[in-house]
This record gives sequence, structure tokens and C-alpha cells, in this order.
Amino acid sequence: MIELNATMIAQVINFLILAAILRAVAYEPVAKLLKQRSDKIQNSLDKAEADKKAAEETLAQYKAQLADAQKKAQAIVEKAELTARKEREALVAETKQEIDKMKENAKVEIQNERNRAFEQMKSEIVSLSLAAAEKIVAKNLTSKENDKLINEFISGLNKDMLDDVK
Amino acid sequence: MEEIGVRETVRFLGLTFNVETILMTWLVMIIVITISCLAVRSLKLVPCGWQNFIEMIVEWLHDQMEAMMGRRGKLFAPFIVSLFLFLLTSNLLGLIPFLESPTNDLNTTLGLALLVIFLVHFFGLYFKGGHYIAHFFQPVAPFVVINLIEEIAKPITLAFRLFGNILAGEILIIVLLHLMPIWMPVPSVVWLAFSIFISCVHAVIFTMLSMAYLGNAVKED
Repeated sequence: MIELNATMIAQVINFLILAAILRAVAYEPVAKLLKQRSDKIQNSLDKAEADKKAAEETLAQYKAQLADAQKKAQAIVEKAELTARKEREALVAETKQEIDKMKENAKVEIQNERNRAFEQMKSEIVSLSLAAAEKIVAKNLTSKENDKLINEFISGLNKDMLDDVK
Repeated sequence: MEEIGVRETVRFLGLTFNVETILMTWLVMIIVITISCLAVRSLKLVPCGWQNFIEMIVEWLHDQMEAMMGRRGKLFAPFIVSLFLFLLTSNLLGLIPFLESPTNDLNTTLGLALLVIFLVHFFGLYFKGGHYIAHFFQPVAPFVVINLIEEIAKPITLAFRLFGNILAGEILIIVLLHLMPIWMPVPSVVWLAFSIFISCVHAVIFTMLSMAYLGNAVKED
């Protein structure tokens, strides 16, 4: 029942042939496929990681740019406001000055006008008084007396009338 | 009555061969290769259906080998896979009427066991060199006797365990068929079912022990 013979060698060779064939046709393709798949997955993961990092970098860059732009815009607005305020202040000051000047002019003009009116009135009063005096006196005085009379009349007139005018 | 254990032999080139064992071995080889080819026929990068199952087995084997044999374990993966498939198919073949297991011949089992032990020592020396020889003299020099007995016992136990179980299974099937009348098939069926279980278990045991022996020899310390 138990006898050892050359079958043993044949069986070892048979098995080695089987192992070689199986390795070639069955094991290698599966192992290769598994390796390929794990490589692919690893590559995909690496790529995803890299992409994510790049995206984050870009985002950070954009954020920085945005903040920068905002800061710049703020600065521009502030500058514009400052300029506008200065301009407005300058304008207001100029206008005020102009108004003052105009007021001054107006005052001067009013004064002039009043003086002129006063002069005119004075001369009219003089001529009226003269006419009245001529009619009342009805006689010709000497020019010396004449002048003296006029001046008396005027100084008397001044005291009463100028108070009203002023 | 059928004679058990008597083998037809042929003489070829002055050597004696058990012709039935060799023919059955070739049959097993054809079956294993055919099944394997069918299994890996259309592999795709995105797996589906049957391919998932194959990949699961290969992944499981890789994990086992990595656990038992360390980093160099994958080197032996094709060998271990072939060993397992060959033994499983061989063991089950004997349960089919008119066929017999190649593994019910001690020539087959001892041949495989010696091949495994040869690989163990070869790769042990290859990977570890003098260190591998030194470990036979551990923990003290006289232990070399016990270690050598162990090394000799390894292939013998490996071969006889498988051979005995498979041969016993087949003998008992024949005995039961002769013992029981034809209308009482229950004991034969029960024993057949048990034999299927035994066939699987012993294929696993032989493979696992081979992995363990190889692991001891090649695992990095």
C-alpha cells in the first residue's frame, strides 16, 4: 500500500508545472490588476490633494487681492471726501468773502447815495429859501448882507432838518 | 471485490510510476487551470460580480501571507495559491466515483511536503545565511538534536497527515458501500459529506502549515 517510487519525482514536477502555469495565467493578472487599481486610487488621491491645495492657494490669493482692492477703494473714497470737503470749505470761504465785500460795497454806496441826496436837498433848499426870502424881503440887499443871511438860514436849517434826515 | 491500495504501475526509463496517480494529477491540473482561466477571463479595473470574489480571495491570501511570512511573503503567493487549489481539487476528486485523489498516494503528499521543506531551507539560507544555521543550535548547542528531529518530522507529518486522511476517507466510502445494503445509503452519504469537509480542512491545514514553515524561515526578525 505504501511504496515510494519515481511517482514522487513526477508529482513534484507536475506540481511545479502547475504552479508556473497558474502564476502566469491566473495569479499575475489579478495581482497586476490589484496593484494597478491601488496605484490609480493613490494617484487620484494625490491629485485631489494637490488640486485642493492649489484651490486653497488661489482662494487665499483672491482674498488677499480683494482685501487689497477694498483697502485701495477705501483710500480713494477717503481722499475724494477730503478733497471735496476742502473744496467746499474753500468755496464757502470765498463766498463769504464775496458777500462781505458786497456788503461793504453796498454800505459805501448807500452812504454815497445818502450824501448825494443830502447835497441835492441842501442846494434845493438853498434855492427855495432864496426865492422865498426874495419874495418876502422884496428888496435887494447887498451881496455881503445877502451871504450872511443865507448862512444864518442854513445853519438854522441844519439844526432842525439834519436831525430828520439822519 | 476491489482491492484497496494496490496500484497499477508502469516502468518507463527504468523507473516505476503509479500510472493512475499521475493520470489523476493531470486531470486535477487541467481542472485547476481551466477554473483559474475562467475566473480571470475578463478582468476589469472596476470590478463587478465574480471578479469581486476572486479579488477578495487574493487580498485575503495576501493579508494572511503578510501576517505569517512578513514582507517577503508575497514572493510565495503564487506557490501557496497553487498548492491550495491543487490539494483542494485533488482531495475532492476522490469523492467522485471511478476517480481517485492524487493525494491518496504517499508519493504525491511526500513529494509536496519535501518540496515545501526544501523551499523552507533554501530560502532560509538565502535570506538569512549563517544566522539561519545558527538558529538550529539555539538556545544551547545540544538542542541541535531536537531541532533536527523536528526538521525531519515536519515533512513526514505533513505528508502522512494528508495521505492518511484522504486514503482513509476513500477506503471507508468503499467499505460502507459494501457493508450496507443498497437501500440504506444514509451512512455512505453522511460519510461522503464528512469527507468533503475533511478534504477542505486538510487542504487548508497543509497550506497553512507550509506557510508557517516558510514564514519561520523567511520572516525578518
